[in-house]
This record gives sequence, structure tokens and C-alpha cells, in this order.
Amino acid sequence: MKKATVWQYILAILLIFVFLTPVFYVISSSFKPINELFSANPTFFPRNFTFENFQNALSRGNFLVYIGNSFIVAISSTILAVVINTMSGYALAKFRFKGDTFVMILILSTIMLPLEVIMVPIFSVLRTFGMYNSLLALIIPAAATPTGIFLMRQYLLTIPDEVIQSARIDGASEWKIFTKIILPNAKPAIATLAIFSFMWRWNDYIWPLIAISTRSKYTLQLAIANFSGEFGSDYSSIIAMSAISMIPMLIVFIIFQKQFVQGTVQTGMKG
Amino acid sequence: MEAKKQTYSSYKFKQKIIPYLFLTPNLLIFSIFIIFPALIGIYYSFTNVTLFTFDSFRTNGFENYVKMFNDARFIAALFNTIKLVLATVPIIFVTSLLVALLLVQPLKYKGVFRAIYYWPVMISAIVVGIIWQWILAGNFGLFNTILKSLGIGAIDTLINPNFAWWSVVFAIVWSRTGYYMIIFVAALLSIPESLYEAAKIDGANKFQQFRYVTYPSLKSARLMVFILVTMEIFKTYPLVVTLTGGGPFKATEFTVQYIYEMAFKSYQVGYASALSVVMLLFVTIISGLNFFLSKGGNNK
Repeated sequence: MKKATVWQYILAILLIFVFLTPVFYVISSSFKPINELFSANPTFFPRNFTFENFQNALSRGNFLVYIGNSFIVAISSTILAVVINTMSGYALAKFRFKGDTFVMILILSTIMLPLEVIMVPIFSVLRTFGMYNSLLALIIPAAATPTGIFLMRQYLLTIPDEVIQSARIDGASEWKIFTKIILPNAKPAIATLAIFSFMWRWNDYIWPLIAISTRSKYTLQLAIANFSGEFGSDYSSIIAMSAISMIPMLIVFIIFQKQFVQGTVQTGMKG
Repeated sequence: MEAKKQTYSSYKFKQKIIPYLFLTPNLLIFSIFIIFPALIGIYYSFTNVTLFTFDSFRTNGFENYVKMFNDARFIAALFNTIKLVLATVPIIFVTSLLVALLLVQPLKYKGVFRAIYYWPVMISAIVVGIIWQWILAGNFGLFNTILKSLGIGAIDTLINPNFAWWSVVFAIVWSRTGYYMIIFVAALLSIPESLYEAAKIDGANKFQQFRYVTYPSLKSARLMVFILVTMEIFKTYPLVVTLTGGGPFKATEFTVQYIYEMAFKSYQVGYASALSVVMLLFVTIISGLNFFLSKGGNNK
């Protein structure tokens, strides 16, 4: 087996600095007292370590409400996404039915309609359905994703038809087959879909931007964005919120790193 | 006998409708929140509807479409977006391929390196904007502090239109290289070792191996990365919200931001819808390319 050269290691380590330094600088800034945040000669690490910025975010910024909203949205939308996308993936993988090509085309066409090009009419649709300024508007519409359907379909194709057939012969209802056979057998694909869905919803900006108007419904991303745009923004809170907003993703990433890497290859392939 | 026949035919019937039942939740959401809005968006684009007149408006033919040709701010934003695509796509392409080439070398702790390079992908565009604004902005940011300590002296950063524009490019490249790197790594690992053996026997050096084996073998991955990045850059907006706010002097205002502001700050829903339709045309062309050139539809 060949070994890598020293230069390759040096390059690899340099790249670590390129990718990590900016993140660490914001995290270390979040522990700086205000006078250091706006110092004319900023240091990389805080000279005096403080939690002042986090306290500011809590007291002035209503930070707990936003983080709570972000968790509610990301978790419920992910659960919904797993259930409904697996259902569709199952229908497309294991059933022959009239109009299946049409359904495939319909699903593919939604890839060509990103939220950014329909955000104006979405606003009026949300109002019509009474979902405007409600967290439901962030949970339900985003749960259905073409990527999720194709990911699940692809995986479910590998479950042998015999398993499903023999359950049918034993008299199991279709819903029971789905919950007792399909869902447990699709665990790896479900894990991939779940962590991606959690990341998408946690990092979402456009949906909250269009659907939410009052502060009590803000998600973390919307709060950070809106506060940073204000005149004389409260950087103490913004930096603290930004640092904290990365923590759940960091934890998810450390646990599910493998799924992210595989999922990127799979979902990328599906566009 | 009769009863059995009935259950069989009702079983057949059930088998027929079951796939539709399983598809219902997704198809309902797609219809209500994607297809239907797209259709009324096209309808709105031929009307003078505003954010406050969803109940009473009239059609005005192609007025909105004619108007955009004289809308200097829209044309500027559209060209700015195309420029951003043209600048960013090749850079991400090269950076992600180079990093991927490094990662397929026999490095120890490869997994750790890969994970760290991927990490910025997980950070929201909003926070990526905050991170780079915090580093770049002002005389007292980390960036200018470093320049000063190197004896170069502070320069205008995000208040300089050119610098601001390139910092958008840079922030995108920094945060998205990891994603496309993964796609290239997968493609590189799937190139059969025997091709390299054959090239070596023919006396090909490292560069020639890349030129004649690696690069051609990456054809589908290259195409995929190219199209995915193009689509993504075309939709650039959240990053800009926190990095530059579209400024200075609209230097970093791109299509999505303009459409958003036209609809929700100037309340011109009809006109904004027409702009969206134009953007939709661009997106359709790009993703249509994706569909026809890659295996898109027939991944059965």
C-alpha cells in the first residue's frame, strides 16, 4: 500500500484551518465581553471569558422562544417527512398502478419548482388556508420532498417482494405491512432522510421569511437574519445566537457523519 | 363460493387503490403548495394584483413582462446573478475536485479530514453570512486586523462593491465545496484501479493519468456537479441577507432578493410574479438539462 507524502499531509492540515478557523472565530467571539467584541485590535481568543452575550440573547432577544420554535419545526417536520415520503417511496417501489409514470413526472416537476420561484403565490396560498403566521406552514409543506421520495423508493426496491407477499397471505392489512415490515426494514434510508430533513428545516430561511410575521413565531434563522438587518444591530445577541444555532447540527453531524456522506452522494445523484 | 369470489374481487380492488392511498399525503402537499402556487403565480403575472388586493384586481395582459425590460434594477440583478453563476461555478468545480483528489490519497485519518471539510455544509446560509461578515466587515474585523499586522494596512471591505461581490463568491465556495467534494470523492473511488495500471504500463506520468484516465472517467459526476451548483447559485439569497444585505449600492443584489422585495416591500405581487416566471424559465432550462443529460428520470 502506498503512503501519502508529507506535502499531502501539510495541505490536508492547511485545509482544516481554512474550513474551521472562521467557525471557531465566531464561537470564540461569542465568549468575549462587549468591549472586546468591538475592540480596535480584536484577538482570536477572548481575553476575558464571559457568558454575557448568551445572557443578552436570552433577555433582550427572546432567544429561547426562537430556539424552541426551531426545534418544534425541525422535529415535527422530520417525523412527518419520514412517514409520508416512505409511504410514497413504498407505493412507487412495490406497486404497479395506472398513472405511475404520471406520478413520477409530477414528482420530478416539483424539483423544477424551487420555493424561490413560487414564494409570491405561496404567500397567498398560505393565507387562503389560514396557515399564514403559523408554525404549521413551516412543518407541513416542506415535509414532502422529491429527494426524500426517491431516496426511500430506491432503498425499498431492495426489500424482497416475497416478504410482503407472505405477510399478505397471512392476512396482514396493508397499513400493518407498512408499519411492521416496511418501516423497520428501511431504517438506514430513514436515518439518512431524517438527518437531512432535520438539517434542511433547522437551516431553513425562505419558508419562515414568507410564512412568519410575528416575533413569537420566529425560528432561529429568521431571528438572526432579521436582527442582523436592523439598524444598530445587537451583535452581542446575534453572535451568541449564531454560535448556539450550530450546536444541534454539530451533534447530529458527529453522530451521523457516515449517513451525511452517503446521503450526499445519493441525493445528489437524484438532483 | 360466492362470498369467496367477492372477497377476492374486493381484494383486487383494494390492491388497486392502495398505492394511491400511500401517495396521497405527498401528492396533496405537492399539488397545494407547489403545483397550484406555480399556476396561480403564472396567472398573477398577467394581473396588477398587489399584496393588499388579493380580492380585487384585474388582468393587464403582458404589461408586467414589458415593464421588466425597462426595469434597470431588475436587469442589473439578473445580470449580477448570471455573473455570479459564471464566476462561482468554475471555482467550486475546481476547489471541490482538488480537495476530492487529495482525499483519495492514502492519507491516515482520512475520515477526520473529510468530516472537517464537510462541516461548513451543515451551517445555514444565514450563519455563514454572519460568520464572514463578522470576519470581513469594518476596519476592526479579523480580516483587517490581520492585514494591519502584516503591515499592509486596512482596506475597504464590505463597503466596497467589488470586494463585497467577491466575498459573496468566496463565502459560497467556502461553505459549499465540502458538498461537491463528496460527490467527486465517490466518483473518483469508482474508477477501476486497472485503468491506472494500464496507463502506468503505457508510461503515463501523474498529470497524464489525470488527463487521460481520471478526468474522462468523471464525466457524469462533472455534469452533475455543474448543474447542481448552477441551480444553487441561481437561487442565492439567504447568504446575502446577512453578509451584505444586497449592498453596497445594490452590488450584491441578485434575482431572488429583487423578486422578494418587489413582492413584499413594494407590494407589486403581479409584477413580482412575472419576474418569478422569468426566473422559472431559467431554472427549468437548467434542470431540464439535468433531466436529459444525466439519468434523471429513468433511475429505475
